[in-house]
Amino acid sequence: MSDNSRVRVSIVGVVIVALFSTLLARLWFLQSGPENSLKVRAVVDSTRVLQTQTPRGEIKDRNGVVLVRDRVSWAITIDRDISTERRDKVIGQLAELLQLEVEQLLSQYESPRQSPLEPAIVALDVSQPNRLEILQDPQNYPGVHVAALTVREYPKGNLAAQVLGYVGEVPSEDVARLEKLSYEPGDDIGLAGAESAFESDLRGKPRRETIEVDPTGRQVGGPVKVEQGSVGHSVYLTIDSEVQRVAEDSLAQGIAGAKDLQNPDIETGYVKFAAPAGAVVVLDANDGSLVALASNPTYDPSVWVGGISKTNYALLTNPFGSFPLVDRATQGLYAPGSTFKLVTSLAMTNDQIRGIGDYYTDTGSVTIGGSTFSNAEKEQFGPVNLEQALTVSSDAYFYTVGNEYWQVWRGGDRARGLGIQREARALGFGAPTGIELDETEGRVPDPEWKSEFAHANYKTELQQEQNSIWYPGDNLTLAVGQGDLVVTPLQLANAYAAFANGGTLWQPHIENRVVDADRKVVSRMKAKAIRRLNLDPTVRAAILAGLQRSVGDSKGTAFAAFQGFPLTQFPIAGKTGTAQVSGKGDTSLFAAIFAADGKQYVVVAVVEQAGFGAQTAAPVVRRIIESMTDQIPGPVRVVAQGHD
Amino acid sequence: MAAETSPWRHADPVLLMLPLAISGLGLLMIYSSSRMRLERQGLSQLYYVERQGLAIAIGIVAMAVVLAIDYRRVRDMWPLVYLGVLPLLIGVLLVGERHRGAQSWFQVGPLQFQPSELTKVAVVVAIAGYCHQHRNDLDTGRLAIGIALAGFAMVLVFLQHDLGTTLVILVCAFAVLVVAGLRPVHIGVLVLIGVSLIGAAVVTGKVAAYRVDRITGFLDQSTSAVPASQQSHAQYSLQESKIAIVNGGLAGEGLFKGRQTNLSYVPEQHTDFIFTVVGEELGFLGGATLIGLYALLVWRLWRTALLSSDFFGTLLAVGVLAIFAFQIFENIGMTMGIMPITGIPLPFMSYGGSAIITSFIAIGLVANVNMRRFS
Repeated sequence: MSDNSRVRVSIVGVVIVALFSTLLARLWFLQSGPENSLKVRAVVDSTRVLQTQTPRGEIKDRNGVVLVRDRVSWAITIDRDISTERRDKVIGQLAELLQLEVEQLLSQYESPRQSPLEPAIVALDVSQPNRLEILQDPQNYPGVHVAALTVREYPKGNLAAQVLGYVGEVPSEDVARLEKLSYEPGDDIGLAGAESAFESDLRGKPRRETIEVDPTGRQVGGPVKVEQGSVGHSVYLTIDSEVQRVAEDSLAQGIAGAKDLQNPDIETGYVKFAAPAGAVVVLDANDGSLVALASNPTYDPSVWVGGISKTNYALLTNPFGSFPLVDRATQGLYAPGSTFKLVTSLAMTNDQIRGIGDYYTDTGSVTIGGSTFSNAEKEQFGPVNLEQALTVSSDAYFYTVGNEYWQVWRGGDRARGLGIQREARALGFGAPTGIELDETEGRVPDPEWKSEFAHANYKTELQQEQNSIWYPGDNLTLAVGQGDLVVTPLQLANAYAAFANGGTLWQPHIENRVVDADRKVVSRMKAKAIRRLNLDPTVRAAILAGLQRSVGDSKGTAFAAFQGFPLTQFPIAGKTGTAQVSGKGDTSLFAAIFAADGKQYVVVAVVEQAGFGAQTAAPVVRRIIESMTDQIPGPVRVVAQGHD
Repeated sequence: MAAETSPWRHADPVLLMLPLAISGLGLLMIYSSSRMRLERQGLSQLYYVERQGLAIAIGIVAMAVVLAIDYRRVRDMWPLVYLGVLPLLIGVLLVGERHRGAQSWFQVGPLQFQPSELTKVAVVVAIAGYCHQHRNDLDTGRLAIGIALAGFAMVLVFLQHDLGTTLVILVCAFAVLVVAGLRPVHIGVLVLIGVSLIGAAVVTGKVAAYRVDRITGFLDQSTSAVPASQQSHAQYSLQESKIAIVNGGLAGEGLFKGRQTNLSYVPEQHTDFIFTVVGEELGFLGGATLIGLYALLVWRLWRTALLSSDFFGTLLAVGVLAIFAFQIFENIGMTMGIMPITGIPLPFMSYGGSAIITSFIAIGLVANVNMRRFS
């Protein structure tokens, strides 16, 4: 071999050594090196987590009566990816088989609450023969499947519908946020009421299986890891289903009665009250637990099961249906009318505007700043002190209190001059109560609010300036619970509870206790005081006497509504309220304090467009109290002629 | 000189045993990579192993036959060898079967016969024989004829859309010619011609999209944020291949325990990506051992090139050496992301009958040169 060839072969050898060294170096770099991100990806790529929902917890009342539970329902689903013609044909065939209307099935198919990606649930609780029919002749039902679903069941029907709320599929806009809490699209989640408020308790821990899949997504072998799920906890509410039933029935009866009463405000012809809606709150005054929360109109919560149909959803959200989904007890905003005089009374004695023994001569009206403010029906009550003013509900008495406050405010003592507002806020008005359910916070008007409101709602500077002025009238109407003041029935009840128990404003709540599947108590709600007010005992006694006499005294505004009630055995302190609403009938309100089984309760009823407080709301409250004091409750008897 | 003794006494046992050892490991790796996939398709887990075993047996017999014939007779018959494969190459173009646009073969009973595999060795024999014949007057014109011999075969193979084998022929022909006496100026001209040909092909769109895809997939490996569904096939293969090797770590996940392997995440794992099984299940220790075995094999080939008693033997050994070294480097390099993806099998490891038999024949030829170095 020539030397030249030898050199050339050696060069080839050097190249080969270089290539093999490169391979070894690269292998070392990959297998010992830091590219661990690839390792993590390998695990993620080849594994999937299958999540199965576990049964949701039950919702019970304070005595363990089941209000909501899970049950299994045989459902029929239709695939989403079939053509419209085929879908119509299949729906027609199903309608015939199940003896349902085509429109109903179609409406269910188009439900806004069903995922467009999952098969549509069109019928629940399908009988076994019908299921067999579908399973035996699948060629007649292309795209149709039978599936066992776990659905919510409401053994008590409509009872406490707004309090219980409903569950639905995880809303698409929340999927990203909820995925961190291991929710998956299509999972059930509480969307309103207690179902939503106690979601984390009610929802069980889903069972999670980690499986390995090949590149086509098919499972390979058994699960690699199984995390056993757990059943959701049961939530016991403070609601007493019997009292709730009575409250709902009484409210419904009161509304029905009011619809048959003449609205005296309309003088042209005989027009009855519209009475479209109302609310009742029954509150334990000593710890803030809610015994009943009724809202009317109500609805059947089972319409949500399996995804509400398009038709039903339209009905529930139609403005002419008075929005039955809204819980008026916590979300309805009403002027409290004379029921607010409790607040004005506490404020004026605190601020030494007027004492409990000071007499004021009621001439039926007062003229302030050129405007005349009258009592209801222009009644004249003569000289009255605080107790009497509350009994007869003298507006003139409180108008002048409002005016005196205004004078103080005008005189420069802004803190004392806004005493009614301060007292209202101290009693929880104008702020959320902190209940677990959705609520509105209402409004306590003051000069600052009025100015802000004017600047936000008027365009020209002049209009803004003019509408920013805090007039005597603003303070006068506030003193009698009118004007720009709005409160929720729950806030009103809570304020009366604070007065009744001697000054503690409790945070109202519906949670009693949470219990796990082994009946072990997971948590127990403890009463929480928002604040404690200093109530002068003599003032409290005078107000209480006035409220008791408003029910028991023949001059009392609610006397007619409580005729025949054994007040000596079961004393009641109550206050009527009649709030004028521009363009509509008056709101009828009544707030009552009474004792039963050694406990103090507050009951508040509010009925929209139903006349005087004494006409509709007071009879509703009476029936509830009768029931709670173990009397045989008679029917709600609305009062034809009433007082404020 | 020990001219009277039988040439078998000078046979290189290391050179003859290494192919057997590597093919044995190859069988194990083919089994590991294909058993789950086959089972899921309802086929025998040994489907590929049996066929590969048969190919190895045929390969060993072919190697023995090649050893028995004095290589100098082959040397003198080089035109016959070259002309022998041409009809096969042309025939496969006319009546052959296709798969994935890359390979063409004749179906021979249960086995597939790919003429392009055999062509690699034939081209080496032809150029080596030609250069040996004109060993004392290899001027530019003669070298050009050598280049033409390789170029014609390359064109025929390229027409079968077998870019990988075309590249192998290019590399081994180049290596043989370099050792035969290619001068730097020749090399410069050849590189210039090559570059302009490739450039023209890409610009005029004569290169199939999947080839460009493989190159760009190789150049852009930062696919960790790209979901699998949006990656190109090449990017996906490379990604999963690298994951498998990284998974192996130093000691490997253990034989038959590779997760990427068992879940069939690496495409074509029993053929082109067989090294990922070694990497994942046997780790760095296994991978480095395999590379070491190849290095040993290549060293024995290189040593034969130096020991050969004639110019043809040297050139033949260099050519075979170039075939193996390039295929090993390209194949293993591709699974680790340092070479673009081409369909070049890993010698003695990848599933494929023609490649196995051809590899045994090639080793047989060099071992033949080696054992007859004194005669």
